[in-house]
Amino acid sequence: MIELQVRDVYKSFGGIQALNGVSFEIQGNQLIGLIGPNGAGKTTLTNVLDGVFRPTGGQVWFNGERIDGLPPYEIARRGLGRTFQVTRAFRRMTVLENMFVPAMALHPTARQRDFHKKAWEVLEFLTMEHLAREYARSLSGGQQKLLELGRLLMLDPDIIILDEPFAGVHPKLMETIYEYIQVVHEQGKAFIIISHDMESIFTLSQRLLVLNFGELIADGDPSTVKADPAVIEAYLGEEEEEEEAGGIVIIEAGDLEGAEGTDA
Amino acid sequence: MKRLLQPRWIAMVVLVGLLLASPLYLKNSPYQMAIVTGAFFYAILASSWALLAGIAGQFSFAHMALTGIGAYTAGILGRDLGTTPLQGIIAGTVMAGLVGLIIGILCLRLRAAYLALFTIAFSEILRIWLLTEFQFTEGSNGLRLDKLWEGISGVQEYYVMLVLLLASMALMYWLAGSRFGLFVRAMREDEEAASAMGVNVVRYKVLIFVVTSLIVGLAGATFYHQVGIATPNTMEILQMSLVIAMAVIGGMESLLGAAIGAFFSRVSLELLREISLFGFTIELGAWRYAAFGLLLLFTLRFAQNGLLHPIIDRLFMRGARKDTVAKRALATEEDA
Repeated sequence: MIELQVRDVYKSFGGIQALNGVSFEIQGNQLIGLIGPNGAGKTTLTNVLDGVFRPTGGQVWFNGERIDGLPPYEIARRGLGRTFQVTRAFRRMTVLENMFVPAMALHPTARQRDFHKKAWEVLEFLTMEHLAREYARSLSGGQQKLLELGRLLMLDPDIIILDEPFAGVHPKLMETIYEYIQVVHEQGKAFIIISHDMESIFTLSQRLLVLNFGELIADGDPSTVKADPAVIEAYLGEEEEEEEAGGIVIIEAGDLEGAEGTDA
Repeated sequence: MKRLLQPRWIAMVVLVGLLLASPLYLKNSPYQMAIVTGAFFYAILASSWALLAGIAGQFSFAHMALTGIGAYTAGILGRDLGTTPLQGIIAGTVMAGLVGLIIGILCLRLRAAYLALFTIAFSEILRIWLLTEFQFTEGSNGLRLDKLWEGISGVQEYYVMLVLLLASMALMYWLAGSRFGLFVRAMREDEEAASAMGVNVVRYKVLIFVVTSLIVGLAGATFYHQVGIATPNTMEILQMSLVIAMAVIGGMESLLGAAIGAFFSRVSLELLREISLFGFTIELGAWRYAAFGLLLLFTLRFAQNGLLHPIIDRLFMRGARKDTVAKRALATEEDA
């Protein structure tokens, strides 16, 4: 069974405490939304989980093994894959080559031809088979996001972290991403989805984690979290500050679907 | 068989045939023979730099220094320990590989301009050390190296360098089309994303330095045994700039483009020493480098893929660039 334990994780950059004692567990193929206002520490947490950052305190355990401090490629090979907030396809490589990179990295003795069938299946699933021979740089932003999702399937991780999968994506492609998440989740994968698209995150998630100023302020099912006063305050507080600074529409308390923000 | 009848393979066979047959014409002119042999040396340097910088994205300026390490190691061992040129070449190659390994490790966290500056500093330190440690390196007088073997002819030297060029090109093409090539290109595009996809970026970054250092170390040790002398000036930044310019003009993401670019650039630079026009003889001297510089500026401004690579690609290699992992996969799929 998939098991991720984040135990009292701290991460600081100089005097800035980006993560402040964050703890949570994932058991099984849960579909988790990770939200929080500006500077909450969402991307920092992601970077700690996938090994880009070494935590300044605490531990991360994945499937019975401590992984904090391991390099990203080791964590990826152990089954924790991620996408990036800003799409990071290998632009001067073809779509198929992009797909082969994780597969080949995961299987050091295998040959490329061992994976072409799987790569085609994944591309067909993502409705991208007609783009297989195109360079990634020629794809639209949304297609590049799909390509990143495709690469993850080639990596075949147990836990998939998606950082802003819906940002700047055409509604049609958004449907494909929705379908991707649901189908892959049904196949037994766990998801952590970071998004500012509240409607999507509340619809998709079975469980919500809310970060604010590096602290986990809520953890529960979406309806409970939605009504949590601490969560409302975190978002409303931000809106009030923004209103004072420049004046934008204040959302009503409890109506988190309207909350906006940017990532940490 | 069908594959061998493709235009690019035919062109390749014709090109190699011409290179093999050239001494029949060149043997009457030792000067021209030496120029072409030297051009092969630069073709190895430019194509290996294309692998390092164009394909793997590591903008190193240490290439000429590594050829010097190969040459000086071979020369010093021959002088002080009486090793044969072959033993010296092997030792020089290994030494260049070791230095490449150290540079690779030291440069793990350096990218772009920082890597370039680091390798420039390394090259200059080495050059100054070779200049100043006169008793050990012969300083600016240059270190004498024995010929590869007693009585070696210009034609034989030509073939030695040609074989070295073809062998290193074959090795580099094999690497570029393999798992190694796939990973270093992913690394060039985005190190963090490649790492997140399971690629051990540290290993491949060090490996690309070691492999290219071995190639240029071997080329340097062999070539300077043919020249008979190695001097610190061959490692100065101008020489490295020439190699980079050759690769850029040929097409720095193309091993063949860079090699052909280097070959023609080197030959042209020699031919431009003195030109005859309407009965007048003009000595261009250093101005030929200015003309070469202009060509480089033109390439950088108007043809970032290089001047030769698009032509080669259009005439002979149509689709060859796409004959990478993707195309092979497609072909296998269709066969199935």
